[in-house]
Amino acid sequence: MGILDGVGQGLAVALQPTNLLYVFIGVLIGTVIGVLPGLGPTATIALLLPLTYTIEPATAVILLAGIYYGSMYGGTITSVLLRLPGEAASVVTTFDGYQMAKHGRAGPALGIAAVGSFIGGVLAVVGLILLAPPLADLAVSFGPPEYVALTALGILMVTYLGSGSPLKSLSMAALGLLLATVGQDPITGTTRFTFGQVSLFDGVDFVAVAMGLFGVGEILHSLERTEKVHAVTQKIKHIWPTRQDFRDSAGAIGRGSVLGFVIGVLPGGGGVISSLASYALEKRRAKDPSRFGKGAIQGVAGPETANNASSTSAFIPLLTLGIPANVVLALIFGALLVQGITPGPQLITEEPEVFWGVIASMLIGNLMLLALNIPLVGVFVQLLRVRAGILAAFALVVTMAGVFSVNNDIFDMWVVLVFGVIGWLMKKTGFEPGPLVLAFVLGSIMERAFRQSMLLSGGSLDIFVTRPLSGGLLAVMAMVIVISFLAARRRRAVFEHVEPEDEDTDDVDAEQERAAGGDDSDGDSGRDGGTPKVAPLAAHRPAEGDPGAEAPRGGGDSGVPTPPPNEGRR
Amino acid sequence: MTPSSSAETAAGRRRSTSPLRAVLLRRLAPVVLLVVGIAALSQARDMGLGELTAPGPGLWPFIVAGLLTATAAVLLVVDPAEDYEPWTAGTARIVAGLVGLALFIVLFQTLGFVVPTLLMLTAWLRFFGGESWRMALVLGVAGAIALHLIFVVALGVPFPAGPVDQLLGG
Repeated sequence: MGILDGVGQGLAVALQPTNLLYVFIGVLIGTVIGVLPGLGPTATIALLLPLTYTIEPATAVILLAGIYYGSMYGGTITSVLLRLPGEAASVVTTFDGYQMAKHGRAGPALGIAAVGSFIGGVLAVVGLILLAPPLADLAVSFGPPEYVALTALGILMVTYLGSGSPLKSLSMAALGLLLATVGQDPITGTTRFTFGQVSLFDGVDFVAVAMGLFGVGEILHSLERTEKVHAVTQKIKHIWPTRQDFRDSAGAIGRGSVLGFVIGVLPGGGGVISSLASYALEKRRAKDPSRFGKGAIQGVAGPETANNASSTSAFIPLLTLGIPANVVLALIFGALLVQGITPGPQLITEEPEVFWGVIASMLIGNLMLLALNIPLVGVFVQLLRVRAGILAAFALVVTMAGVFSVNNDIFDMWVVLVFGVIGWLMKKTGFEPGPLVLAFVLGSIMERAFRQSMLLSGGSLDIFVTRPLSGGLLAVMAMVIVISFLAARRRRAVFEHVEPEDEDTDDVDAEQERAAGGDDSDGDSGRDGGTPKVAPLAAHRPAEGDPGAEAPRGGGDSGVPTPPPNEGRR
Repeated sequence: MTPSSSAETAAGRRRSTSPLRAVLLRRLAPVVLLVVGIAALSQARDMGLGELTAPGPGLWPFIVAGLLTATAAVLLVVDPAEDYEPWTAGTARIVAGLVGLALFIVLFQTLGFVVPTLLMLTAWLRFFGGESWRMALVLGVAGAIALHLIFVVALGVPFPAGPVDQLLGG
């Protein structure tokens, strides 16, 4: 099937009334949870997983994908207005977006972010259409050793990119792989690690693990904090950017699209990595880099474009190789598995309506998001009035009811509870849940491929190196590790030079540097595309006094209360 | 680690009075992982490792458990302190929340969906959300009925039967 036929078929699927409705629901939910700090795309998708089993596979993925890229739009709003990243990928936007808001340019900042996101998203969809089919063709020739190499690459990338401690992430990945072995051995039928529990014979349920770690774990973690989010009461004016704004940011949007696309395709890419990289690139290219950190529109346009482009192109490895590039995609992978569809090279020929339908829905979804974001920003801002306690209570009950509905088994509710505790403890001790979940999803694929490889090669490990494709993939793996290591060092150097000189107080200065430096070295509250961390809120708030009051014009410059840095944090 | 956690732990370090206790707490995570890893290693060996030419059921678990054990062992020595959030009074709230959730599951088994949901929502909103009793009750009742309608009536999920559930239909 040619690409044009495919796109035509995809549009036919995406334009069905049901799917139009679901893409709208998806992008709306995405925007809403993007705005709400503390509830990111990962947690939301985990919570909604059980509800997707009752709908068609294509519709389910259309919905979940909409939530993912919708959250990339929504996360911008609080970054600009309150300097609170609504989801992890928008952290970079706080640097210049908030400064623009202080100078009365919140409207154009949000406007250019929406326009940039739209352009980045659409270009990434075009790239996806062009790149995915040939990649799937290539992947058809992959054998078990290639799959071992690919899954290893995916897991390794997720542990490497971002987090300050790759070792801790690797440890979590090992735990995820171990969890994946619970249940009956796929080949011999021997039960493993079931401790006599019949409910464990089929393994630990993926949905329960994801909901526990991301949903319940996150809610428990937020219970420890008590501070409230300030509502924004000012009207946002002049959303549509001026011609000058467009001229200034055109280059940044173009470069952000390409950069975001490329980074999104890499395993472990997407989300915050792409926006950080784009910010660094714009700053390096700028004639006057000192404007960055003081409200440079390029510093908003580039990263916002890049994070949306990457959230789209991150679908490429999933739809063509069957390898989720980050945790959000791992959840979508899980949703497809439960629907009886194994994403992989065959997807494009065996389930064309899923493949092309999802791609076409992204075009429609991005269009809807542009329409939603430009005129309705003010409405979304009102969402910040919803109290966190109400959100948490309902999220918990929906989680419990939802996880029961997957297998109609109360055992799974206990699994959620246990993994909720584990997720909370992991947060307390600085372990990332992302690698665990990704490894858990990939574990059975990896084991099967490994055992098949051993049978193929007669027990020789050489098979992974001597076959050109798997050997090549392993070489790429080594190369990406080296490059990402170097890039991380360079990025750190760039961010150390973000000096917001016109900040009001020293306290705020330190705050911003901490945000910049901290985020870069460990990167990644959201290398997974968005493990929502509520923590940034806590760090930002004390220095800001009442950000709601001073956000738009910086009127409170002189009178910003600066409580001692440790107060009010818990 | 998030931008804030370095700041938060800095705060935690300053606040912490007993460095020894902090170190012990910090090493707890690697120790637990190490124990899990070693236990899994021995279990995997009992399952039968087989040969590389003919892998047994225990071989792959053995390999990944080995990875877990090795990383945990290294973490025992090098785990960076900045990653750790301090334990606070808020931790007690977590325990209370967990007990509440466990109670919810137990009640769910016997009383069906509506009653435990109502109780859970109301209690959570009142004690953790800080809402007034009236607000908590209104949201609790409305939420329980709305969720019953969504899950049972619209989606047809077979929740355990309870006294009120049958009245509401589904």
